[in-house]
Amino acid sequence: MYRLSKLRFGFPVFLFLALFLDGAVSQVFSVQMFRYPTTMISHLVVLWLVCGVIFEADGAFDMPLARWAAVAGAVFDLYYTGIFGVYVFIFPLVIYVTRQLVAWISPNFLSGLLIYFIDIAVVEGLGYLASRAVHLNDAAGSAFLVNTLGPTLAFNLAMFVILYFPIRWVYNWLK
Amino acid sequence: MQKFSLNRRLVIIIVCVIVSFALMTVSVAVRNKKATPPLVQQFGNDIVGLVDRVVAIPTNGLSGSVSSISELLNTYQENQQLKKQVSELAQTKVRDQTLAKENKQLKKEISLNSSLTDYTAVTASVITRTPSSWQNQVVINKGASAGVTKNMPVMSGSGLIGRVAEVNKTNSKVELITDNNDTANRFAVQISTKSGKTVNGVLSGYNANTGQVTMNNITTKAKITKGDKVVTSGLGGVTPKGLYVGTVAKASGDDYGLSTKLYITPATDLSDLNIVTVAVTKQ
Repeated sequence: MYRLSKLRFGFPVFLFLALFLDGAVSQVFSVQMFRYPTTMISHLVVLWLVCGVIFEADGAFDMPLARWAAVAGAVFDLYYTGIFGVYVFIFPLVIYVTRQLVAWISPNFLSGLLIYFIDIAVVEGLGYLASRAVHLNDAAGSAFLVNTLGPTLAFNLAMFVILYFPIRWVYNWLK
Repeated sequence: MQKFSLNRRLVIIIVCVIVSFALMTVSVAVRNKKATPPLVQQFGNDIVGLVDRVVAIPTNGLSGSVSSISELLNTYQENQQLKKQVSELAQTKVRDQTLAKENKQLKKEISLNSSLTDYTAVTASVITRTPSSWQNQVVINKGASAGVTKNMPVMSGSGLIGRVAEVNKTNSKVELITDNNDTANRFAVQISTKSGKTVNGVLSGYNANTGQVTMNNITTKAKITKGDKVVTSGLGGVTPKGLYVGTVAKASGDDYGLSTKLYITPATDLSDLNIVTVAVTKQ
């Protein structure tokens, strides 16, 4: 069904929209989000991908999500960070983790919140380890937990609550 | 069968980790050594940058209009204050022009073409900000075609905010001085103390808890006091002399008591950047 639906073109369009909105939100609300030492990182692109997995299980259709996740990760690496090889692997991994979790717990709004919590923790944790490994930061693990992971989880879970139903509406419209 | 698939999964994971580390190491090396990224990356970044503008310009415009409405409320008071400042500024500006002219003539007399203070300013606007807490970067809308090259200093408002980390044709990445990686924020600076002495040094890091830039390993006997101005010294390459960095907030002994450690309050709010200036020097 994927071949015939509007989703084939609509999915990448919204994927890149989410990717660019991450940067735009960080820029527009930079005073609030980058209030040093705490930082909140917007992960709308992960939200779009995770919702893809959840509604894919819902609507019984398959999408090449991992491939698009790798593409989004590559653009993220090259355009935003300039360090290739981090998110290009993390984003497909998130798709894999989410698919495993969705097979376990049937997804709905509340369990989706739990799944998204795990995904954001995976993204931020692996991102921290990777940048630590190539000496891009010297933050201690405890500082990472308090200053980055906590606020980021709070922000992204709030975004999930706000955007879950609009995104479901978009997926249903594209389907 | 079960065992085989588990093994295969393990192999895939290990290969992915190795490839990931190899790619990261290569791109960090390229970023530190080469003046521009590989052509493919540059081309890709230019295209992505163009597409990003479609998203970024409306959102930035929206936030601009919201903030202009809120600014409208205290316009009257601000206007009165600014009027006073403008009349003082006009005087300074005329004097500045005269001095610049005199400086040019004097340079001509001793046939000195350009000195450390010469630079041309390229104004750029910020397209987007890297959504990552490890890389404090912004993407600006001027690149190699506007004369920007790697390592050039970038200013916003009244002070230095960072340096150009990567140059594409039509956009470039600016690494802010709040970034704490191995190559960020090492600017050669100097402090003119109240007693008239000049202290040279290098910025060494950023303290996120206090929001202050730190400067280590100062062994001078000159007394540095709170409020002394820190400017770039122009030594060692592309940074011109005399860019304002901030003021000294605290001077204290370092961890071993051998040298002095300075804490510098940056001149600009580093989390609120919209329009920046790249100082382009002739090389």
